[in-house]
Amino acid sequence: MAASKITSRSTIISLLIGAVFVVLLGARINSLENYTFARVVQDFLNALTLGSLYALIALGYTMVYGIIRLINFAHGEIFMLGSYFAFYAMTLTPLPWAISLLVTIILGGTVLLVLRSLFNLEEPKRTFALSLIIFGGTFFLLTFRKLGWVEGLTLSMLATGVAGVLLEAIAYKPLRGAPRESMLITAIAASFFLQNFGQLVFGARVRGFNAQTILNKPLNFHIGPETVYFTGILVVVPLITALLLWVLNLFVSRTRLGKAMRATAQDAEVAQMMGVNVNQVIALTFFIGSILAAAAGVMYAIRFGQIHPLMGLMPGIKAFTAAVIGGIGSLPGAVLGGLLLGFIEIYVVSLFPTLSAYKDVFAFVLLILILLFRPSGLVGEDLTEKV
Amino acid sequence: MPEPLLELKNVSAYYGPIRALSNVNMELYPGEMVCLLGGNASGKSTTLKTILGLVQVGEGEVYFRGERIDPKPTSYRIERGMAVVPENRRIFPKMTVRENLEMGAYLRNDPKGIREDMEYVFSLFPRLEERLNQMGGTMSGGEQQMLAMGRALMSRPKLILMDEPSMGLAPKLVETIFKIIKTVNDRGITVFVVEQNANIALSIADRGYVLQTGEVVLQGNARDLLNNEAMRKAYLGEV
Repeated sequence: MAASKITSRSTIISLLIGAVFVVLLGARINSLENYTFARVVQDFLNALTLGSLYALIALGYTMVYGIIRLINFAHGEIFMLGSYFAFYAMTLTPLPWAISLLVTIILGGTVLLVLRSLFNLEEPKRTFALSLIIFGGTFFLLTFRKLGWVEGLTLSMLATGVAGVLLEAIAYKPLRGAPRESMLITAIAASFFLQNFGQLVFGARVRGFNAQTILNKPLNFHIGPETVYFTGILVVVPLITALLLWVLNLFVSRTRLGKAMRATAQDAEVAQMMGVNVNQVIALTFFIGSILAAAAGVMYAIRFGQIHPLMGLMPGIKAFTAAVIGGIGSLPGAVLGGLLLGFIEIYVVSLFPTLSAYKDVFAFVLLILILLFRPSGLVGEDLTEKV
Repeated sequence: MPEPLLELKNVSAYYGPIRALSNVNMELYPGEMVCLLGGNASGKSTTLKTILGLVQVGEGEVYFRGERIDPKPTSYRIERGMAVVPENRRIFPKMTVRENLEMGAYLRNDPKGIREDMEYVFSLFPRLEERLNQMGGTMSGGEQQMLAMGRALMSRPKLILMDEPSMGLAPKLVETIFKIIKTVNDRGITVFVVEQNANIALSIADRGYVLQTGEVVLQGNARDLLNNEAMRKAYLGEV
């Protein structure tokens, strides 16, 4: 009784706050004389792109939290790894065949082992077909020509997914059953480790990310006298995000392993009683979360044109904020929160140019408000313990 | 005597330094219905968790279908033919009735057999068929109990372990549930039921064990237990 009263009161309060914001924004847009239709289009495209990227990263946070109640602070670094993998795939190719062979064996072997354990591919025939595709495909891609962004994105998603599984196996798995604080501290340590590992191995300097890719070619167009600064990436990001969300939704709602994942998130012990291998489900969750983070990392790098080993920090924190705002543990919540943050960030700068230095403050103020008035997030479930 | 389906030999289990079970010996024979009685914190649930591998055996051995299983993971035991109806039902609240039943058949790979067993579950619990696409969490306690039992049956088990099926249900519903447990048992499925409600459990079981602070203090035929003096005083509510 009491709980439902509090929930409904906080719903009303958040609705009121939302309404006040909408009215303020409307008034602001009305008072800006130079807010033309071209700027409406431009702001919307920019916000949708940024929001999609945040949403993709936020999904990884929320999925891992849903399964093992861990805030994986190293998730931002996974995002960073994704962009570096694509960077190397696109700049170092074509490799001399001997080196390519070596890379294929090491990389392909790891990928194969991880995929086999994730998807129960014990059957010899399937294993053989899979290894043929992985080894052949990797060797073929790396040896013959310079890779474009599509191949770079695909390879990076696969490699980063495997990196996420390894992170879980090395850093978190030995702590299964330990107090949650230990895992949290370990996550922070893993984050610092990967940042410094990145500076050591990739170099600490900022690198330009393939500015010549077709997605960055200016395709500006005019609406009346105004110019909309348009590039392919502004369409590709929302489209690829929508595609990945569709596939993710299909996987989670239709497949056997996807259902096992949902069951584990709802009640891990009973899922185990049904015969679900919880270790497998956890590894799979890291795999999928890291794949999505890698997609975001590569597209982020194309959009903003540069990468460096600390680049995961800010998007990581923003996406985590997005996941909490949406309701941590909820997949639609993460997407909603990510889009919301993207829109806030772009529209604050556009509508209040004098406040643009404070653009990040707004996201975190929203976080505080949500935590105060609706701690379970916008679409999250009640946090009250069930009896 | 035939070979026991499930056998616990001198099993002890620990939670940290606390000994929850000491030297427990039990045998279940194929087709039997056996109940495990005892008060709060007597080790009933720990016994079930030990059989399932959710709690590790400290000392002793567990055999299932003639094979030593105490070092094996839970999923292996399920695959070999165990199924659970957990305490408080614990269905998956945000999955539909159909998905809950599918989770029961998680380790199976025979679509035809799964469909047959789903039909069997519907014949036992017609209510579940009506509610097929409803979320598990939105159903009443009795319906959730039916769903939990249906879910366990979906793995076509040799042995069903039930933890307090009567908990939190109205007396009339408890009767219905136990009637269905009997029907399932009559089909040849061995049933091991943990209960606080000793009267109703003993009225349909073949045999019973009584646990007290982690030790088996009484065992025997259900009828003998029902008439046992100490038993009546301790668990059947007679002074």
